[in-house]
Amino acid sequence: MKTKLHSIALVSLLASSLAAAGAAQAQTAGTWMLRGGVTHLMPDVDSGNMTAPSLPNTQIDVGNDTRLSGGLTYMLTNNWAIDLPLALPFKHDIVGAGAIAGAGTLGTVKALPITVFMQYRFAEANTALRPYLGAGVTYSKLYDETGSAALSGITGGSPSNPTLLSADSRFGLTLQAGLSYSFNEHWFVDGAVVKSFVKTKATLSTGQTIEAKLNPVAVMVGVGYKF
Amino acid sequence: MKFLKPSIASAIVALSLAACGGGGGGGDQSPAVKFTSLVSFGDSLSDVGSYKTPGIASLGGGKYTVNSATAQIWVDRIASQLAVPTPCPAQTGLNASGALAAFAGPVTNHAECTAYAQGGSRVTNPIGPWNAALLASPDPTTAFQGQLGQLTVPVTTQISNHLAKTGGSFNGKELVLVLAGANDVFMNLATVGTTTTPAQAATAMATAAVELSNLVKTQIVGKGAKYVVVVNLPNISLTPSALASEASKPGSQALTDAVTQAFNSQLASNLNGVQGVVLVDAYAQSTDQAKNPAAYSLTNVTTPACSSTSPANPLQGYSLTCSSASTIAGDVSRYQYADPVHPTPYAHDLLARLVSLGMSRAGWL
Repeated sequence: MKTKLHSIALVSLLASSLAAAGAAQAQTAGTWMLRGGVTHLMPDVDSGNMTAPSLPNTQIDVGNDTRLSGGLTYMLTNNWAIDLPLALPFKHDIVGAGAIAGAGTLGTVKALPITVFMQYRFAEANTALRPYLGAGVTYSKLYDETGSAALSGITGGSPSNPTLLSADSRFGLTLQAGLSYSFNEHWFVDGAVVKSFVKTKATLSTGQTIEAKLNPVAVMVGVGYKF
Repeated sequence: MKFLKPSIASAIVALSLAACGGGGGGGDQSPAVKFTSLVSFGDSLSDVGSYKTPGIASLGGGKYTVNSATAQIWVDRIASQLAVPTPCPAQTGLNASGALAAFAGPVTNHAECTAYAQGGSRVTNPIGPWNAALLASPDPTTAFQGQLGQLTVPVTTQISNHLAKTGGSFNGKELVLVLAGANDVFMNLATVGTTTTPAQAATAMATAAVELSNLVKTQIVGKGAKYVVVVNLPNISLTPSALASEASKPGSQALTDAVTQAFNSQLASNLNGVQGVVLVDAYAQSTDQAKNPAAYSLTNVTTPACSSTSPANPLQGYSLTCSSASTIAGDVSRYQYADPVHPTPYAHDLLARLVSLGMSRAGWL
Protein backbone atom coordinates (compact mmCIF):
# COMPACT_ATOMS: atom_id res chain seq x y z
CA MET A 1 0.00 0.00 0.00
CA LYS A 2 2.79 2.35 0.95
CA THR A 3 4.60 1.79 -2.32
CA LYS A 4 1.35 2.38 -4.16
CA LEU A 5 0.84 5.68 -2.43
CA HIS A 6 4.39 6.63 -3.22
CA SER A 7 3.90 5.81 -6.84
CA ILE A 8 0.64 7.77 -6.91
CA ALA A 9 2.46 10.80 -5.59
CA LEU A 10 5.29 10.27 -7.98
CA VAL A 11 3.06 9.74 -10.99
CA SER A 12 0.86 12.67 -10.14
CA LEU A 13 3.88 14.89 -9.78
CA LEU A 14 5.15 13.70 -13.11
CA ALA A 15 1.72 14.09 -14.66
CA SER A 16 1.17 17.60 -13.45
CA SER A 17 4.50 18.68 -14.89
CA LEU A 18 3.50 17.04 -18.17
CA ALA A 19 0.17 18.83 -18.05
CA ALA A 20 1.92 22.07 -17.34
CA ALA A 21 4.03 21.40 -20.38
CA GLY A 22 0.84 21.50 -22.43
CA ALA A 23 0.86 17.84 -23.37
CA ALA A 24 -2.74 17.31 -22.22
CA GLN A 25 -4.46 14.83 -24.47
CA ALA A 26 -5.87 11.32 -24.08
CA GLN A 27 -6.38 10.32 -20.45
CA THR A 28 -3.59 12.26 -18.92
CA ALA A 29 -3.54 13.77 -15.50
CA GLY A 30 -5.88 16.72 -15.19
CA THR A 31 -8.24 15.46 -17.89
CA TRP A 32 -11.95 15.81 -17.23
CA MET A 33 -14.16 13.22 -18.88
CA LEU A 34 -17.87 13.65 -19.09
CA ARG A 35 -20.05 10.81 -20.37
CA GLY A 36 -23.66 10.02 -20.99
CA GLY A 37 -25.42 6.76 -21.65
CA VAL A 38 -27.61 4.22 -19.96
CA THR A 39 -27.30 2.06 -16.87
CA HIS A 40 -29.10 -1.19 -16.27
CA LEU A 41 -29.35 -1.90 -12.56
CA MET A 42 -30.00 -5.50 -11.50
CA PRO A 43 -30.41 -6.12 -7.78
CA ASP A 44 -29.20 -9.58 -6.78
CA VAL A 45 -31.37 -9.85 -3.72
CA ASP A 46 -30.66 -12.13 -0.79
CA SER A 47 -33.72 -11.63 1.36
CA GLY A 48 -34.15 -12.35 5.00
CA ASN A 49 -37.51 -13.44 6.36
CA MET A 50 -40.17 -10.95 7.30
CA THR A 51 -40.75 -10.63 11.02
CA ALA A 52 -44.02 -11.68 12.65
CA PRO A 53 -46.83 -11.61 11.92
CA SER A 54 -46.25 -13.09 8.52
CA LEU A 55 -46.24 -16.44 6.80
CA PRO A 56 -42.98 -18.14 7.75
CA ASN A 57 -40.36 -17.68 5.03
CA THR A 58 -41.95 -14.51 3.65
CA GLN A 59 -39.30 -12.88 1.46
CA ILE A 60 -38.93 -10.22 -1.20
CA ASP A 61 -37.19 -9.75 -4.48
CA VAL A 62 -36.45 -6.54 -6.34
CA GLY A 63 -36.75 -6.09 -10.08
CA ASN A 64 -34.35 -4.53 -12.57
CA ASP A 65 -34.49 -1.09 -14.11
CA THR A 66 -32.73 0.88 -16.84
CA ARG A 67 -32.22 4.64 -16.76
CA LEU A 68 -30.30 7.36 -18.54
CA SER A 69 -26.99 7.80 -16.84
CA GLY A 70 -23.68 9.48 -17.15
CA GLY A 71 -20.68 10.34 -15.13
CA LEU A 72 -17.77 12.57 -14.54
CA THR A 73 -14.20 11.36 -14.27
CA TYR A 74 -11.14 13.33 -13.30
CA MET A 75 -7.68 12.00 -13.99
CA LEU A 76 -5.59 12.63 -10.91
CA THR A 77 -2.61 11.12 -12.64
CA ASN A 78 -2.14 9.34 -15.93
CA ASN A 79 -3.49 6.18 -14.24
CA TRP A 80 -5.44 7.17 -11.16
CA ALA A 81 -8.82 8.81 -11.48
CA ILE A 82 -11.81 9.81 -9.45
CA ASP A 83 -15.10 8.81 -11.00
CA LEU A 84 -18.58 9.98 -10.12
CA PRO A 85 -21.32 8.12 -11.97
CA LEU A 86 -24.63 9.93 -12.25
CA ALA A 87 -27.97 8.48 -13.16
CA LEU A 88 -31.62 9.32 -13.16
CA PRO A 89 -33.30 7.65 -10.20
CA PHE A 90 -34.09 4.00 -10.74
CA LYS A 91 -37.54 2.70 -9.99
CA HIS A 92 -37.71 -0.89 -8.89
CA ASP A 93 -40.64 -3.21 -8.35
CA ILE A 94 -40.63 -5.09 -5.08
CA VAL A 95 -42.15 -8.53 -5.54
CA GLY A 96 -42.94 -11.42 -3.22
CA ALA A 97 -40.54 -14.35 -2.79
CA GLY A 98 -40.33 -17.41 -0.57
CA ALA A 99 -43.71 -18.12 1.01
CA ILE A 100 -45.29 -15.24 -0.90
CA ALA A 101 -43.72 -16.00 -4.29
CA GLY A 102 -46.05 -15.16 -7.13
CA ALA A 103 -47.93 -12.57 -5.09
CA GLY A 104 -47.15 -9.93 -7.68
CA THR A 105 -45.91 -6.41 -7.12
CA LEU A 106 -45.92 -5.50 -3.45
CA GLY A 107 -44.63 -2.02 -4.02
CA THR A 108 -42.05 0.13 -5.69
CA VAL A 109 -39.01 1.98 -4.49
CA LYS A 110 -36.85 4.62 -6.13
CA ALA A 111 -33.13 4.16 -5.84
CA LEU A 112 -30.35 6.63 -6.35
CA PRO A 113 -27.04 4.93 -5.78
CA ILE A 114 -24.46 7.66 -5.20
CA THR A 115 -20.93 6.33 -5.62
CA VAL A 116 -17.49 7.83 -5.65
CA PHE A 117 -14.89 5.57 -7.22
CA MET A 118 -11.16 5.60 -7.10
CA GLN A 119 -10.06 4.10 -10.41
CA TYR A 120 -6.86 2.73 -11.78
CA ARG A 121 -6.67 2.97 -15.58
CA PHE A 122 -4.23 0.60 -17.21
CA ALA A 123 -1.88 1.29 -20.11
CA GLU A 124 -0.33 4.51 -21.30
CA ALA A 125 -2.30 7.73 -21.08
CA ASN A 126 -2.73 8.08 -24.82
CA THR A 127 -3.53 4.43 -25.54
CA ALA A 128 -6.87 4.16 -27.30
CA LEU A 129 -8.13 1.17 -25.34
CA ARG A 130 -7.79 1.46 -21.58
CA PRO A 131 -9.28 -1.04 -19.19
CA TYR A 132 -9.76 0.11 -15.66
CA LEU A 133 -10.69 -1.12 -12.21
CA GLY A 134 -12.37 0.90 -9.53
CA ALA A 135 -13.45 0.68 -5.95
CA GLY A 136 -15.71 3.03 -4.14
CA VAL A 137 -18.21 3.83 -1.50
CA THR A 138 -21.89 3.88 -2.38
CA TYR A 139 -24.70 5.58 -0.57
CA SER A 140 -27.76 3.68 -1.66
CA LYS A 141 -30.47 6.29 -1.36
CA LEU A 142 -33.91 4.64 -1.30
CA TYR A 143 -36.97 6.84 -1.32
CA ASP A 144 -40.50 7.36 -2.60
CA GLU A 145 -41.50 3.86 -1.52
CA THR A 146 -45.05 2.88 -2.38
CA GLY A 147 -47.22 -0.06 -1.40
CA SER A 148 -49.98 -1.76 -3.32
CA ALA A 149 -53.32 -3.50 -2.90
CA ALA A 150 -51.42 -6.79 -2.72
CA LEU A 151 -49.13 -5.56 0.06
CA SER A 152 -52.06 -4.22 2.06
CA GLY A 153 -53.98 -7.45 1.51
CA ILE A 154 -51.31 -9.80 2.74
CA THR A 155 -50.30 -7.65 5.71
CA GLY A 156 -53.73 -6.64 6.98
CA GLY A 157 -54.10 -3.16 5.50
CA SER A 158 -56.93 -1.74 3.44
CA PRO A 159 -57.43 1.18 1.06
CA SER A 160 -58.52 3.41 3.94
CA ASN A 161 -55.57 2.27 6.00
CA PRO A 162 -52.99 1.12 3.48
CA THR A 163 -49.83 -0.65 4.51
CA LEU A 164 -46.98 1.79 4.02
CA LEU A 165 -43.46 0.76 3.22
CA SER A 166 -40.21 2.45 4.06
CA ALA A 167 -36.73 1.25 3.15
CA ASP A 168 -33.51 2.34 4.84
CA SER A 169 -30.81 4.02 2.81
CA ARG A 170 -27.41 2.55 3.58
CA PHE A 171 -23.73 2.84 2.69
CA GLY A 172 -21.97 0.00 0.91
CA LEU A 173 -18.84 -0.99 -0.94
CA THR A 174 -18.76 -1.00 -4.74
CA LEU A 175 -16.32 -2.53 -7.20
CA GLN A 176 -16.03 -1.57 -10.84
CA ALA A 177 -14.41 -3.01 -13.96
CA GLY A 178 -14.56 -1.09 -17.19
CA LEU A 179 -13.10 -0.30 -20.53
CA SER A 180 -12.83 2.97 -22.42
CA TYR A 181 -11.98 3.39 -26.05
CA SER A 182 -10.90 6.75 -27.44
CA PHE A 183 -11.75 7.56 -31.03
CA ASN A 184 -9.77 10.73 -31.04
CA GLU A 185 -8.57 13.46 -28.72
CA HIS A 186 -12.00 14.17 -27.38
CA TRP A 187 -14.50 11.44 -27.95
CA PHE A 188 -14.60 8.03 -26.33
CA VAL A 189 -16.94 5.19 -25.53
CA ASP A 190 -17.04 3.67 -22.08
CA GLY A 191 -18.49 0.51 -20.62
CA ALA A 192 -18.35 -0.78 -17.07
CA VAL A 193 -19.76 -3.46 -14.85
CA VAL A 194 -20.29 -2.51 -11.26
CA LYS A 195 -21.09 -4.65 -8.26
CA SER A 196 -22.27 -3.09 -5.03
CA PHE A 197 -22.60 -4.65 -1.63
CA VAL A 198 -25.46 -2.84 0.07
CA LYS A 199 -28.24 -3.88 2.39
CA THR A 200 -31.54 -2.39 3.28
CA LYS A 201 -34.13 -2.89 5.93
CA ALA A 202 -37.73 -2.37 4.94
CA THR A 203 -40.29 -1.50 7.57
CA LEU A 204 -44.04 -1.78 7.11
CA SER A 205 -46.56 0.44 8.82
CA THR A 206 -48.15 -2.79 10.08
CA GLY A 207 -45.01 -3.35 12.12
CA GLN A 208 -43.15 -6.08 10.25
CA THR A 209 -39.61 -5.61 9.06
CA ILE A 210 -37.47 -7.43 6.54
CA GLU A 211 -33.75 -7.24 5.92
CA ALA A 212 -32.38 -7.80 2.45
CA LYS A 213 -29.03 -7.65 0.74
CA LEU A 214 -29.62 -5.80 -2.52
CA ASN A 215 -26.11 -6.32 -3.92
CA PRO A 216 -26.93 -4.94 -7.37
CA VAL A 217 -24.91 -5.46 -10.50
CA ALA A 218 -25.01 -2.48 -12.82
CA VAL A 219 -24.00 -2.44 -16.46
CA MET A 220 -23.19 1.00 -17.79
CA VAL A 221 -22.46 2.09 -21.33
CA GLY A 222 -21.91 5.59 -22.53
CA VAL A 223 -20.28 8.01 -24.90
CA GLY A 224 -17.99 10.63 -23.46
CA TYR A 225 -16.03 13.73 -24.14
CA LYS A 226 -12.67 14.67 -22.74
CA PHE A 227 -11.52 18.17 -22.08
CA MET B 1 -22.11 17.32 -25.23
CA LYS B 2 -25.39 19.14 -25.14
CA PHE B 3 -27.42 15.96 -24.91
CA LEU B 4 -25.74 15.16 -21.64
CA LYS B 5 -26.93 18.21 -19.88
CA PRO B 6 -30.60 17.33 -19.29
CA SER B 7 -29.81 13.96 -17.77
CA ILE B 8 -27.14 15.28 -15.47
CA ALA B 9 -29.28 18.22 -14.50
CA SER B 10 -32.18 15.90 -13.75
CA ALA B 11 -29.95 13.65 -11.74
CA ILE B 12 -28.79 16.57 -9.68
CA VAL B 13 -32.38 17.70 -9.20
CA ALA B 14 -33.26 14.16 -8.21
CA LEU B 15 -30.37 14.12 -5.79
CA SER B 16 -31.58 17.25 -4.09
CA LEU B 17 -35.15 15.99 -4.02
CA ALA B 18 -33.94 12.74 -2.54
CA ALA B 19 -32.08 14.66 0.10
CA CYS B 20 -35.36 16.23 1.13
CA GLY B 21 -36.56 12.73 1.98
CA GLY B 22 -39.29 11.39 -0.26
CA GLY B 23 -42.29 10.37 1.79
CA GLY B 24 -43.53 6.91 0.90
CA GLY B 25 -47.15 6.34 0.08
CA GLY B 26 -49.67 3.59 -0.10
CA GLY B 27 -49.24 3.34 -3.85
CA ASP B 28 -52.07 2.11 -5.98
CA GLN B 29 -54.50 0.49 -3.57
CA SER B 30 -57.11 -0.34 -6.16
CA PRO B 31 -57.09 -4.03 -7.02
CA ALA B 32 -56.28 -5.19 -10.53
CA VAL B 33 -59.82 -6.51 -10.87
CA LYS B 34 -62.50 -3.90 -10.22
CA PHE B 35 -64.94 -5.92 -8.12
CA THR B 36 -68.35 -4.37 -7.67
CA SER B 37 -69.69 -6.55 -4.89
CA LEU B 38 -69.04 -9.48 -2.65
CA VAL B 39 -71.20 -12.59 -2.45
CA SER B 40 -70.53 -15.06 0.34
CA PHE B 41 -71.78 -18.61 0.86
CA GLY B 42 -71.00 -20.76 3.85
CA ASP B 43 -71.37 -21.21 7.58
CA SER B 44 -70.54 -19.48 10.85
CA LEU B 45 -66.97 -18.81 9.75
CA SER B 46 -68.41 -16.41 7.15
CA ASP B 47 -71.59 -15.29 8.92
CA VAL B 48 -71.68 -11.49 9.12
CA GLY B 49 -74.72 -11.35 11.41
CA SER B 50 -77.62 -13.55 10.28
CA TYR B 51 -78.64 -14.17 13.87
CA LYS B 52 -78.12 -10.70 15.23
CA THR B 53 -81.65 -10.52 16.56
CA PRO B 54 -82.43 -7.87 19.19
CA GLY B 55 -81.80 -10.46 21.90
CA ILE B 56 -78.39 -11.43 20.52
CA ALA B 57 -77.51 -7.79 19.81
CA SER B 58 -78.36 -6.83 23.40
CA LEU B 59 -75.48 -9.06 24.52
CA GLY B 60 -73.16 -7.37 22.05
CA GLY B 61 -73.14 -10.51 19.88
CA GLY B 62 -73.98 -11.33 16.28
CA LYS B 63 -70.89 -12.85 14.71
CA TYR B 64 -68.99 -16.00 15.62
CA THR B 65 -65.96 -14.30 17.09
CA VAL B 66 -65.12 -11.95 19.95
CA ASN B 67 -67.75 -9.37 19.02
CA SER B 68 -67.21 -5.64 19.26
CA ALA B 69 -68.23 -2.58 17.29
CA THR B 70 -65.13 -2.93 15.13
CA ALA B 71 -64.74 -6.74 15.05
CA GLN B 72 -64.40 -7.96 11.49
CA ILE B 73 -64.49 -11.51 10.25
CA TRP B 74 -62.48 -12.46 7.17
CA VAL B 75 -65.39 -11.69 4.83
CA ASP B 76 -65.65 -8.15 6.23
CA ARG B 77 -61.92 -7.66 5.88
CA ILE B 78 -61.85 -8.78 2.27
CA ALA B 79 -64.72 -6.38 1.51
CA SER B 80 -62.79 -3.54 3.18
CA GLN B 81 -59.71 -4.32 1.16
CA LEU B 82 -61.56 -4.38 -2.11
CA ALA B 83 -63.56 -1.27 -1.14
CA VAL B 84 -66.83 -2.99 -2.03
CA PRO B 85 -69.96 -2.39 0.07
CA THR B 86 -69.86 -3.89 3.56
CA PRO B 87 -71.47 -7.31 3.36
CA CYS B 88 -74.87 -7.64 5.06
CA PRO B 89 -76.77 -10.84 5.83
CA ALA B 90 -79.17 -11.96 3.11
CA GLN B 91 -81.43 -13.50 5.71
CA THR B 92 -81.85 -12.70 9.39
CA GLY B 93 -83.79 -14.28 12.22
CA LEU B 94 -83.60 -17.02 14.79
CA ASN B 95 -86.19 -19.71 15.61
CA ALA B 96 -85.34 -19.63 19.30
CA SER B 97 -87.52 -21.28 21.87
CA GLY B 98 -87.65 -22.51 25.45
CA ALA B 99 -84.89 -21.22 27.68
CA LEU B 100 -83.44 -19.26 24.76
CA ALA B 101 -86.73 -17.78 23.52
CA ALA B 102 -85.50 -14.26 24.27
CA PHE B 103 -83.13 -14.56 21.29
CA ALA B 104 -85.91 -15.27 18.79
CA GLY B 105 -86.35 -13.01 15.78
CA PRO B 106 -88.55 -13.19 12.70
CA VAL B 107 -86.99 -14.78 9.63
CA THR B 108 -86.58 -11.96 7.12
CA ASN B 109 -84.92 -11.90 3.69
CA HIS B 110 -82.96 -8.85 2.61
CA ALA B 111 -82.98 -8.45 -1.15
CA GLU B 112 -80.10 -5.97 -1.20
CA CYS B 113 -77.76 -8.21 0.83
CA THR B 114 -75.57 -10.95 -0.59
CA ALA B 115 -73.86 -12.48 2.45
CA TYR B 116 -75.72 -15.78 2.64
CA ALA B 117 -73.47 -17.68 5.02
CA GLN B 118 -75.20 -18.71 8.24
CA GLY B 119 -73.98 -20.26 11.45
CA GLY B 120 -74.66 -23.99 11.42
CA SER B 121 -75.08 -24.29 7.65
CA ARG B 122 -74.00 -27.45 5.90
CA VAL B 123 -73.33 -28.12 2.22
CA THR B 124 -76.66 -29.68 1.27
CA ASN B 125 -78.26 -30.97 4.48
CA PRO B 126 -80.69 -28.40 5.94
CA ILE B 127 -80.20 -29.51 9.54
CA GLY B 128 -76.99 -28.16 11.06
CA PRO B 129 -75.84 -27.59 14.63
CA TRP B 130 -78.21 -25.61 16.88
CA ASN B 131 -81.09 -26.00 14.38
CA ALA B 132 -84.59 -26.12 15.90
CA ALA B 133 -85.05 -29.61 14.42
CA LEU B 134 -82.60 -30.86 17.04
CA LEU B 135 -85.04 -30.11 19.87
CA ALA B 136 -86.21 -33.69 19.52
CA SER B 137 -82.70 -35.10 20.00
CA PRO B 138 -82.32 -37.69 22.78
CA ASP B 139 -78.97 -36.09 23.64
CA PRO B 140 -79.69 -33.37 26.22
CA THR B 141 -76.89 -31.05 25.02
CA THR B 142 -78.01 -31.30 21.42
CA ALA B 143 -81.63 -30.77 22.45
CA PHE B 144 -80.63 -27.67 24.45
CA GLN B 145 -78.83 -26.29 21.41
CA GLY B 146 -81.98 -26.82 19.35
CA GLN B 147 -83.56 -24.08 21.44
CA LEU B 148 -81.39 -21.46 19.74
CA GLY B 149 -83.03 -22.36 16.45
CA GLN B 150 -80.23 -21.42 14.00
CA LEU B 151 -81.66 -21.28 10.48
CA THR B 152 -78.78 -23.27 8.94
CA VAL B 153 -79.87 -22.76 5.33
CA PRO B 154 -77.53 -25.10 3.43
CA VAL B 155 -75.06 -23.75 0.87
CA THR B 156 -76.95 -25.31 -2.01
CA THR B 157 -80.07 -23.31 -1.03
CA GLN B 158 -78.02 -20.18 -0.32
CA ILE B 159 -76.78 -20.29 -3.90
CA SER B 160 -80.20 -20.96 -5.40
CA ASN B 161 -81.63 -18.11 -3.33
CA HIS B 162 -79.02 -15.79 -4.79
CA LEU B 163 -79.66 -16.96 -8.34
CA ALA B 164 -83.39 -16.51 -7.82
CA LYS B 165 -82.68 -12.93 -6.82
CA THR B 166 -80.41 -12.11 -9.77
CA GLY B 167 -82.35 -13.72 -12.56
CA GLY B 168 -80.32 -16.89 -12.60
CA SER B 169 -76.79 -15.66 -13.10
CA PHE B 170 -73.76 -13.91 -11.66
CA ASN B 171 -72.65 -10.73 -13.44
CA GLY B 172 -68.98 -11.71 -13.48
CA LYS B 173 -67.84 -8.71 -11.44
CA GLU B 174 -68.54 -10.09 -7.98
CA LEU B 175 -66.05 -11.73 -5.74
CA VAL B 176 -67.68 -14.95 -4.57
CA LEU B 177 -66.47 -16.46 -1.31
CA VAL B 178 -67.21 -20.07 -0.39
CA LEU B 179 -66.28 -21.74 2.88
CA ALA B 180 -68.34 -24.69 4.12
CA GLY B 181 -68.10 -28.23 5.38
CA ALA B 182 -67.18 -27.83 9.04
CA ASN B 183 -70.74 -28.46 10.22
CA ASP B 184 -70.82 -31.58 8.06
CA VAL B 185 -67.74 -32.69 10.01
CA PHE B 186 -69.46 -32.04 13.35
CA MET B 187 -72.74 -33.68 12.37
CA ASN B 188 -71.08 -36.69 10.79
CA LEU B 189 -68.79 -37.22 13.78
CA ALA B 190 -71.70 -36.91 16.22
CA THR B 191 -73.13 -40.24 15.13
CA VAL B 192 -69.86 -42.19 14.88
CA GLY B 193 -69.88 -45.04 17.39
CA THR B 194 -73.64 -45.09 17.74
CA THR B 195 -75.26 -45.35 14.31
CA THR B 196 -72.28 -44.90 11.94
CA THR B 197 -68.67 -46.02 11.53
CA PRO B 198 -65.59 -43.80 11.06
CA ALA B 199 -65.36 -45.03 7.46
CA GLN B 200 -68.92 -43.94 6.82
CA ALA B 201 -68.17 -40.50 8.25
CA ALA B 202 -65.16 -40.13 5.95
CA THR B 203 -67.22 -41.23 2.97
CA ALA B 204 -69.96 -38.76 3.90
CA MET B 205 -67.39 -35.96 4.04
CA ALA B 206 -65.93 -36.87 0.67
CA THR B 207 -69.47 -36.81 -0.67
CA ALA B 208 -70.04 -33.36 0.85
CA ALA B 209 -66.87 -32.15 -0.88
CA VAL B 210 -68.08 -33.50 -4.21
CA GLU B 211 -71.40 -31.73 -3.66
CA LEU B 212 -69.71 -28.45 -2.74
CA SER B 213 -67.30 -28.55 -5.67
CA ASN B 214 -70.14 -29.40 -8.05
CA LEU B 215 -72.07 -26.41 -6.72
CA VAL B 216 -69.04 -24.21 -7.34
CA LYS B 217 -68.61 -25.56 -10.84
CA THR B 218 -72.20 -25.68 -12.03
CA GLN B 219 -74.07 -23.12 -9.91
CA ILE B 220 -71.39 -20.46 -9.42
CA VAL B 221 -68.78 -20.61 -12.19
CA GLY B 222 -71.34 -22.22 -14.51
CA LYS B 223 -73.69 -19.32 -13.89
CA GLY B 224 -71.23 -16.62 -14.84
CA ALA B 225 -69.06 -15.97 -11.78
CA LYS B 226 -65.47 -15.22 -12.81
CA TYR B 227 -63.82 -14.68 -9.44
CA VAL B 228 -64.45 -17.36 -6.85
CA VAL B 229 -62.46 -17.99 -3.70
CA VAL B 230 -63.03 -21.39 -2.12
CA VAL B 231 -61.46 -21.84 1.30
CA ASN B 232 -60.90 -25.40 2.42
CA LEU B 233 -61.56 -26.58 5.96
CA PRO B 234 -59.14 -25.41 8.61
CA ASN B 235 -57.51 -28.08 10.73
CA ILE B 236 -60.51 -28.82 12.97
CA SER B 237 -58.55 -31.45 14.90
CA LEU B 238 -56.44 -28.68 16.47
CA THR B 239 -59.37 -26.63 17.78
CA PRO B 240 -59.94 -26.43 21.55
CA SER B 241 -63.09 -28.48 20.95
CA ALA B 242 -61.16 -31.33 19.35
CA LEU B 243 -58.44 -31.15 21.99
CA ALA B 244 -61.08 -31.47 24.73
CA SER B 245 -62.75 -34.38 22.93
CA GLU B 246 -59.44 -36.17 22.61
CA ALA B 247 -58.94 -35.93 26.36
CA SER B 248 -62.28 -37.59 27.07
CA LYS B 249 -62.43 -39.80 24.00
CA PRO B 250 -58.95 -40.84 22.79
CA GLY B 251 -58.75 -41.28 19.04
CA SER B 252 -61.38 -38.67 18.28
CA GLN B 253 -58.78 -36.11 17.28
CA ALA B 254 -57.27 -38.40 14.65
CA LEU B 255 -60.74 -39.23 13.39
CA THR B 256 -61.62 -35.54 13.15
CA ASP B 257 -58.49 -34.96 11.12
CA ALA B 258 -59.16 -37.93 8.88
CA VAL B 259 -62.65 -36.78 7.93
CA THR B 260 -61.48 -33.19 7.49
CA GLN B 261 -58.75 -34.32 5.15
CA ALA B 262 -61.17 -36.58 3.30
CA PHE B 263 -63.22 -33.47 2.58
CA ASN B 264 -60.27 -31.25 1.69
CA SER B 265 -58.53 -33.68 -0.62
CA GLN B 266 -61.73 -34.37 -2.51
CA LEU B 267 -62.42 -30.64 -2.77
CA ALA B 268 -58.91 -29.95 -4.06
CA SER B 269 -59.02 -32.65 -6.70
CA ASN B 270 -62.47 -31.62 -7.91
CA LEU B 271 -61.65 -27.93 -8.15
CA ASN B 272 -58.15 -28.34 -9.53
CA GLY B 273 -57.77 -26.29 -12.68
CA VAL B 274 -61.27 -24.81 -12.65
CA GLN B 275 -61.01 -21.43 -14.34
CA GLY B 276 -61.83 -18.53 -12.04
CA VAL B 277 -61.48 -20.50 -8.82
CA VAL B 278 -58.79 -19.81 -6.25
CA LEU B 279 -58.58 -22.55 -3.63
CA VAL B 280 -57.15 -21.23 -0.39
CA ASP B 281 -55.42 -23.74 1.88
CA ALA B 282 -56.70 -22.72 5.31
CA TYR B 283 -55.92 -26.22 6.52
CA ALA B 284 -52.19 -25.79 5.99
CA GLN B 285 -52.10 -22.32 7.50
CA SER B 286 -54.18 -23.19 10.56
CA THR B 287 -51.95 -26.22 11.15
CA ASP B 288 -48.88 -24.01 10.93
CA GLN B 289 -50.45 -21.40 13.18
CA ALA B 290 -50.99 -24.05 15.84
CA LYS B 291 -47.42 -25.35 15.56
CA ASN B 292 -45.68 -22.05 14.98
CA PRO B 293 -47.83 -19.39 16.67
CA ALA B 294 -45.09 -16.81 17.24
CA ALA B 295 -44.57 -16.34 13.50
CA TYR B 296 -48.14 -15.15 13.30
CA SER B 297 -47.94 -13.12 16.53
CA LEU B 298 -50.45 -15.47 18.11
CA THR B 299 -50.16 -15.68 21.87
CA ASN B 300 -52.49 -18.64 22.45
CA VAL B 301 -53.73 -21.31 20.05
CA THR B 302 -55.49 -23.69 22.43
CA THR B 303 -57.60 -21.65 24.88
CA PRO B 304 -60.83 -19.94 23.82
CA ALA B 305 -60.85 -16.19 24.46
CA CYS B 306 -64.55 -16.26 25.39
CA SER B 307 -65.24 -17.21 28.96
CA SER B 308 -67.56 -20.21 29.38
CA THR B 309 -68.60 -18.98 32.82
CA SER B 310 -69.15 -15.28 32.22
CA PRO B 311 -72.62 -14.13 33.29
CA ALA B 312 -72.48 -11.75 30.32
CA ASN B 313 -72.71 -14.74 27.95
CA PRO B 314 -75.68 -17.06 28.68
CA LEU B 315 -74.54 -19.43 25.89
CA GLN B 316 -71.54 -20.52 28.00
CA GLY B 317 -68.72 -19.24 25.89
CA TYR B 318 -70.42 -19.69 22.50
CA SER B 319 -68.97 -16.92 20.40
CA LEU B 320 -72.26 -15.80 18.82
CA THR B 321 -73.01 -14.07 22.13
CA CYS B 322 -69.41 -13.40 23.15
CA SER B 323 -68.15 -9.87 23.29
CA SER B 324 -65.19 -8.12 24.81
CA ALA B 325 -67.36 -7.95 27.96
CA SER B 326 -67.34 -11.73 28.32
CA THR B 327 -63.80 -12.82 27.55
CA ILE B 328 -61.47 -14.46 30.02
CA ALA B 329 -59.06 -12.30 32.02
CA GLY B 330 -55.96 -10.94 30.33
CA ASP B 331 -55.10 -9.78 26.83
CA VAL B 332 -56.86 -12.09 24.37
CA SER B 333 -56.36 -9.86 21.32
CA ARG B 334 -53.86 -12.29 19.81
CA TYR B 335 -55.62 -15.53 20.69
CA GLN B 336 -56.45 -17.90 17.84
CA TYR B 337 -59.82 -19.05 19.15
CA ALA B 338 -62.82 -17.11 20.37
CA ASP B 339 -64.74 -20.24 21.37
CA PRO B 340 -63.95 -23.96 21.04
CA VAL B 341 -64.15 -23.82 17.23
CA HIS B 342 -64.42 -20.20 16.00
CA PRO B 343 -61.53 -17.77 15.42
CA THR B 344 -60.96 -14.41 17.07
CA PRO B 345 -61.01 -11.27 14.91
CA TYR B 346 -57.22 -11.49 14.79
CA ALA B 347 -57.31 -15.07 13.48
CA HIS B 348 -59.91 -13.92 10.96
CA ASP B 349 -57.48 -11.21 9.90
CA LEU B 350 -54.80 -13.87 9.35
CA LEU B 351 -57.25 -15.87 7.23
CA ALA B 352 -58.09 -12.76 5.23
CA ARG B 353 -54.38 -12.24 4.56
CA LEU B 354 -54.08 -15.79 3.27
CA VAL B 355 -57.08 -15.24 1.02
CA SER B 356 -55.50 -12.00 -0.22
CA LEU B 357 -52.32 -13.88 -1.02
CA GLY B 358 -54.29 -16.38 -3.08
CA MET B 359 -56.11 -13.57 -4.88
CA SER B 360 -52.86 -11.73 -5.44
CA ARG B 361 -51.28 -14.83 -6.97
CA ALA B 362 -54.25 -15.09 -9.29
CA GLY B 363 -53.57 -11.52 -10.40
CA TRP B 364 -56.78 -10.17 -8.90
CA LEU B 365 -55.20 -7.68 -6.47
